[in-house]
Amino acid sequence: MYEQDLYEHADVVNELLARYGVKFGIYKNNVFREQLFPFDAIPRIIAKDEFAVLEKGLKQRVVALNLFLKDIYGKKQIIKDRVVPEEFVYASSGYLTECEGVCPVKDIYSHISGIDLVEGKNGQWYVLEDNLRVPSGASYPMIARELCRRSSPRTFMNVKLEDNRNYAELLRRAMDYVNVGGHSVILTPGRYNAAYFEHSYLAEQTGAHLVSGPELTVEDDMLYYIDSYGHKERVGVVYRRISDEYLDPMTFNPESVIGISHIYDVYRKGNVALMNAPGNGIADDKGLYYFVPKMVKYYLGEEPVLQNAPTYLPFYEEDMKYVLEKFDSLVLKDVAEAGGYGVVFGNKMTAEQKADFIALLKAEPRRFIAQEVIDFKDLDIKDQGKVVPRKADLRAFVLMADEPMVWKSGLTRFSRNPDSFIVNSSQGGGFKDTWVLSQ
Amino acid sequence: MKKLRFRYEMHLQFDAPVNDHRFTLKCIPMSNQRQVIQKLETYIYPNEMLSKAEDSFGNLCIYGYTDKPHTRFDAVVSGEALAGCLPYEPAEENYRLGRYRYPTPYTKPGPALKEYYRKFQAEYKNSKVQIGAEGNLSKSIVLMHMLHRDISYVQGVTTVDTTAEEALAGRRGVCQDYSHIMIALCQMAGIPARYVVGMLIGEGLSHAWVEIYHDGCWYALDPTNDLMVDDQHIKISAGRNYHDCRINQGAFRGIMVHQTQTIGVSVEEIGKLEE
Repeated sequence: MYEQDLYEHADVVNELLARYGVKFGIYKNNVFREQLFPFDAIPRIIAKDEFAVLEKGLKQRVVALNLFLKDIYGKKQIIKDRVVPEEFVYASSGYLTECEGVCPVKDIYSHISGIDLVEGKNGQWYVLEDNLRVPSGASYPMIARELCRRSSPRTFMNVKLEDNRNYAELLRRAMDYVNVGGHSVILTPGRYNAAYFEHSYLAEQTGAHLVSGPELTVEDDMLYYIDSYGHKERVGVVYRRISDEYLDPMTFNPESVIGISHIYDVYRKGNVALMNAPGNGIADDKGLYYFVPKMVKYYLGEEPVLQNAPTYLPFYEEDMKYVLEKFDSLVLKDVAEAGGYGVVFGNKMTAEQKADFIALLKAEPRRFIAQEVIDFKDLDIKDQGKVVPRKADLRAFVLMADEPMVWKSGLTRFSRNPDSFIVNSSQGGGFKDTWVLSQ
Repeated sequence: MKKLRFRYEMHLQFDAPVNDHRFTLKCIPMSNQRQVIQKLETYIYPNEMLSKAEDSFGNLCIYGYTDKPHTRFDAVVSGEALAGCLPYEPAEENYRLGRYRYPTPYTKPGPALKEYYRKFQAEYKNSKVQIGAEGNLSKSIVLMHMLHRDISYVQGVTTVDTTAEEALAGRRGVCQDYSHIMIALCQMAGIPARYVVGMLIGEGLSHAWVEIYHDGCWYALDPTNDLMVDDQHIKISAGRNYHDCRINQGAFRGIMVHQTQTIGVSVEEIGKLEE
């Protein structure tokens, strides 16, 4: 084995990543700062059999979430049957009333799903969060693999591992499957977006046009791309990397300057596919997360393969009692927040903070979920020459075309702070490649 | 039941040419169980590229685009309406009405709404109005009387962004505020409620009122005028709040352009019809 070779080249890879502009933008206190997304050369390795179980569970979960979205914006059977209480749907900011009765092309809502998992010390995987709106991160392990293979080819001579550089093919397949006729484009809010590197890289890899709002225009219920010569070409699918509220100022936030007026009307009429579909926020809402295993049973009649982290809803009296009793051992999450914000650990609060929090919890029980702190397996990282253990998670990607496809890799993010469980890149963490063995 | 003639017109005058103008209009009344619309005529300028669609509430939207420079924008809708055919409109099943049961940013309760809600509960207990088993309609009627009594109709003190909580705290506002306050309080009482935009006899501007769910139907109440909606109102659109029913949404390009908007609404009775 030539692991040593790979580790020794870590600095080279990081330099190359910097040169290619593999960066992550962060807004803090209204200041935009771009920082490198530090790469750690020690890969996360997942055995073939183990990944096969994950794959089965991920497909099942994403299929159920898609059916949930179709149901919520359509028949509402799951509400009628009282499997999901309606307040969790209608009081959530993820529910978009404008999506009622609108069918996306081929009934696909979540073309690209990023499912965040952690592995417990007992070897059990748990889903921490579903990301069905604009999940980002696939480009990082893609390009890291490419650069590692280049800088340290010997490492890859004898390992039998799945090639993750096919992500672009899967993405292209998902785009082509719903394309209603015309060009494929990737819509970016621009270079000051946190994930701009990813937008440009995926466009390059899939052969789609990278466009910003002003390059798209709506005429007679069709969407057009205006090229640099002023020619108009019809667009059949938009992989949009801007959030729902900014998508169309005529339907959503009227202040949006990065969106396209009337694109939602074109979508409503089935003349363009948007991926992911608007309104998906209701399926990856932290409050609804609790119900995902129930959705799997309800829609598919199957036992869920993947487990949620043990979660309590203070909304239910019984759970509230438990949460108050075990407060110090739980992590509490504000369902309206994302990116590692709004997450608090019971045992890290002062007595005063705790009293305030409990008062808030009692006043707005629906706003919070509580979870057991999972003792997740540490992964080794190299920090200033030393190998040290750090908390890490895995974002697995599921793409939907005529069938769900799980990308045989994923983004492994780790916390650089030894005491932190929060691995989000917006909080300054790093990433690793994820190797799925093929034998 | 009345036969009404209506005309809605909106004009925008720009003091310099604008182009790249996109707009969405929700200003066309449609027939339903309560009203029949006849002889409908619409005129929109500029009109090179116009489309129609229904939004997620079933409101008719006309939207369009022009890239030619222009200095005015006109939307004129006229026709006749048979109003008051029925006192209600049939609603979807109760389990499908979730979106009208929970507050939006316009109707989120704060201290003023919570305090007023307690006042309402006390007054309702002492009131003699009782209609129907669910009590939604009788509660709403009591609420409407209270709001009409406690809130002063004053123009210019609130804006299109004023929330129910803010308007109630100041006890002043216009039809939009009366309606948002009433929706907020109905939702607090567990009554599905929605916002309606339309036209009213004798009003020179568009009007807003409320529909509440009672016993499988939407009943319409006008808290600004303390009136059950019968045959003097013509409905244009419905949604959860003002935002969902905005009559005109537009964006254009221009340099230092100032726009002047004029809106004219007229509704007159042209005949009475026997039941």
